[in-house]
Amino acid sequence: MSAVSAAPVVTENARPAWTRRPKIDQWICWWTIPIFYNLFGLIFVVLTRVMPPPRPDITPEQIVAFFETHSLTIRIGFALLMFFIGFASVANGLIALQIKRMSVSPVFAYAYIGALVVGGLPGCLLPAFAFVAGAFRPDRDPQIMVMLYDWCLLSFVGSLGCFCTQNMVLALAIFLDKNDILPKWLAYMSIWMIVTELLASPVFIFKSGPLAWNGSISFYVGTAVFVVWEFAIIRLLYVAIKNQSPTEQIQD
Amino acid sequence: MANTQTAEVNAGGTTTRAHLPSNKDMWVFVLGDLVIFSSYFIIFEIYRHQQRQTFLSAQQHLSLSIGVVNTLVLLASSWFVAQSVQLTRAGEYERAMRLTVGGGLCGVVFILLKAYEWSTKIGHGLTFGSNDFFMFYYMLTGVHLFHVALGLVFLGVVFFELRNPKLRRVSMVETGATYWHMVDLLWVVIFALMYVMR
Repeated sequence: MSAVSAAPVVTENARPAWTRRPKIDQWICWWTIPIFYNLFGLIFVVLTRVMPPPRPDITPEQIVAFFETHSLTIRIGFALLMFFIGFASVANGLIALQIKRMSVSPVFAYAYIGALVVGGLPGCLLPAFAFVAGAFRPDRDPQIMVMLYDWCLLSFVGSLGCFCTQNMVLALAIFLDKNDILPKWLAYMSIWMIVTELLASPVFIFKSGPLAWNGSISFYVGTAVFVVWEFAIIRLLYVAIKNQSPTEQIQD
Repeated sequence: MANTQTAEVNAGGTTTRAHLPSNKDMWVFVLGDLVIFSSYFIIFEIYRHQQRQTFLSAQQHLSLSIGVVNTLVLLASSWFVAQSVQLTRAGEYERAMRLTVGGGLCGVVFILLKAYEWSTKIGHGLTFGSNDFFMFYYMLTGVHLFHVALGLVFLGVVFFELRNPKLRRVSMVETGATYWHMVDLLWVVIFALMYVMR
């Protein structure tokens, strides 16, 4: 970070011109976000079929048929996810850096990253391995297939509550910040996120209806709010990086 | 509405320009939250249409009188909060603080009444999973209760800013009031849909 802005005069001829652009390090990180969210969409929607989630109220035979039909794409999709899931941390690091520029303790930035690590495990990795195990041997006892199916989707949708801390930390940091790094309306938007995330927990109770894991409220309203929030933060990060002075000192 | 505000601001002599009460950030929240709640209300209506008999017979178990008292308590709290905005604009901070506390206490009464209502329902075996009507009942009142609790935090911030002469800002009091009125408005719609509509 600071090395890039401090060094250019001395090594001007030794380095390619594009690396001498101010804040090029942060811009590279920023561009990974739109690229990797598109890849995540491709993996979850087209290949692994967890978005939109398949129905919770189907018979064991239908679940076995689901795994047989999508066995190959589920395994390809989650194999790709293993490579790309780590890139979520680049986006999160970028947001954590902006939190560090705020007039709040860096503990908010650490908590932001930590909360996402907690959520990433049940939200991505546990469901991935449950589904891959199902797709790996679809000729198992159908009841075991039902368990892997439930495990994947309960974990994938039901873990949204883990992201409440992330949104609370971000909202509180923005409310307390006097440097106006990110606008206050993003903090209010994070409150919508908390509400929709709380409404994902009832998927542990209902097997059909609006609060099941494929429900209009638990899944679709929550996802719509998330998409709006995600577009907003990608755009606001762009503005925040643009407004950041290349020589600004950031707290450790 | 806008006219009376402009007139009052003029009387105070601070500014002559009409303005949006509170700030645009809070209005983004309020309008977006209303859209999200509207989607819940539409989904409720669709399920109610599909299971009309279940919904009508389950509705008989709700106590209309507690619903009415809850509504009156929230309307009273909104009146307190609105008065506190007027008094803050007029510079009468002591009275504004007392009315903000009054609004907050009404919010606490609302939460206690809801807790009592929920506990009697659960006592009668009417829980979250009983049927789709009670699923919506606990979900909608629960999400609204979360907003009330958050509103108490906002009113608390308003109170502490009013108490400190260095922090007093009309815009902050307006922001708290805007949020609180939204909580009130949402309750009135929930009350109409769940308790009253036959």
